[in-house]
Amino acid sequence: MADDGTGAGALKAENQALQEVLAAEHVAVWGYGVVGAALGTSADQAAVASQAAHRDLRDQVAELIDSRKVAPVPAEAGYALPFPVLNAHDAASLAVRLEDGVSRALVRLLDQAAGKATRQLAVGALGAAEVRAVSWRAKAGQTPVTSPFPGLPT
Amino acid sequence: MSSSPASSRGLTRRGLFAGSAGLALLVAGCTSSAGQRRDAAATSRQADALAGQVAVQESLVAAYSAAGAASPALAAQIAPLQSQAQQQLTKLKAAAPSAGARRSASSAPSSTAAVPAGQDPKAWLRAQITAAADSHTAACLAQDGARAALLGSIAAGLRGQAGGLS
Repeated sequence: MADDGTGAGALKAENQALQEVLAAEHVAVWGYGVVGAALGTSADQAAVASQAAHRDLRDQVAELIDSRKVAPVPAEAGYALPFPVLNAHDAASLAVRLEDGVSRALVRLLDQAAGKATRQLAVGALGAAEVRAVSWRAKAGQTPVTSPFPGLPT
Repeated sequence: MSSSPASSRGLTRRGLFAGSAGLALLVAGCTSSAGQRRDAAATSRQADALAGQVAVQESLVAAYSAAGAASPALAAQIAPLQSQAQQQLTKLKAAAPSAGARRSASSAPSSTAAVPAGQDPKAWLRAQITAAADSHTAACLAQDGARAALLGSIAAGLRGQAGGLS
C-alpha cells in the first residue's frame, strides 16, 4: 500500500489540487443552473440532481481545505459560457463539459493526493461524475457515450 | 441565454474552462513532477498490485467476448465498450510492463469467461464490469501519483460503462 505522503511539499501539492477541484465544482454548480434553466420543467430533474451532487462535493472539499487552515478558493460572480445554451441539446452538451471539467480536476487530485482518504474522495467523485457524463452525452447525441479514461489528459 | 454578471477576474473574461489557472495545469498531463517523484519511489508491492489489475482487466475483456458470444444481439451493442475495455488494458499493460512476470493466479478475479447458464448476458456482464471497477478502485487507493490517476480513471470509465448498460 502506498504510504501517505505527509511531508509539507506533498500536502501543499494536495491542497493545490483540492483547490482546483473546488474551482471546478464552483463552475459546475453555476453551470447546472444554466443547464436547468435551458431544459425547463420537462427535463430538469437530472440537472437538479447533478447540481445537488456537485454542491455536496463542493461543500465537502471546501470544508476539507478550510480544516487545513487554508482559505478555499471562492466562486466567481459568474462564468462565461463556452457556447450559447439555447435548447435542450445545448444544455446537455454544457452538462458534458461541466462533468468533464470536474473529472480532469479529480484525476489531477488523484495524481497529487498525499493520503488515502483524499484518493478515496477523488475516485468516488470521479466515478459519479462519469456516470452522469454518460447520461448527458446520450442526451446530447454524442457517441460514444462512454469514455475509457475520464479526466485523463489525452 | 446570457451568463451571470461577469466579474473582473480571469475566468469570466476568458471562458468557462480555458481561463481557470488550475484546470489549465491539467493539459500538462497527470504525471506531474511531484507525482513522478513519488512514482520513482513506488514499492515493488505497488508494482505487483498494478500487475494484478492487468489480470482483472484481461478477465473483463474476456467477459465482453463471452457475453457477446452468448447473445449476438448484445454483441453489436457492446462492441464499442469492449473496444474501450481493450484500450484500458493496453494502457494498464504499458504502466505495468512487468505484469506478465509478476501476475499471480490469486490476483485474477473469480469470474470465468463464460455466461452461466440461465443468466441474462447483459446483467452478468454488468456485474463483471462493476466488479472490475471495484477492484481498480481498491487498487487505486493503494497506489499514488500517475498510477493512482490511471486506475481511478479506468475505474470511473467502467462505472460509466456499467451505467450505460442499464
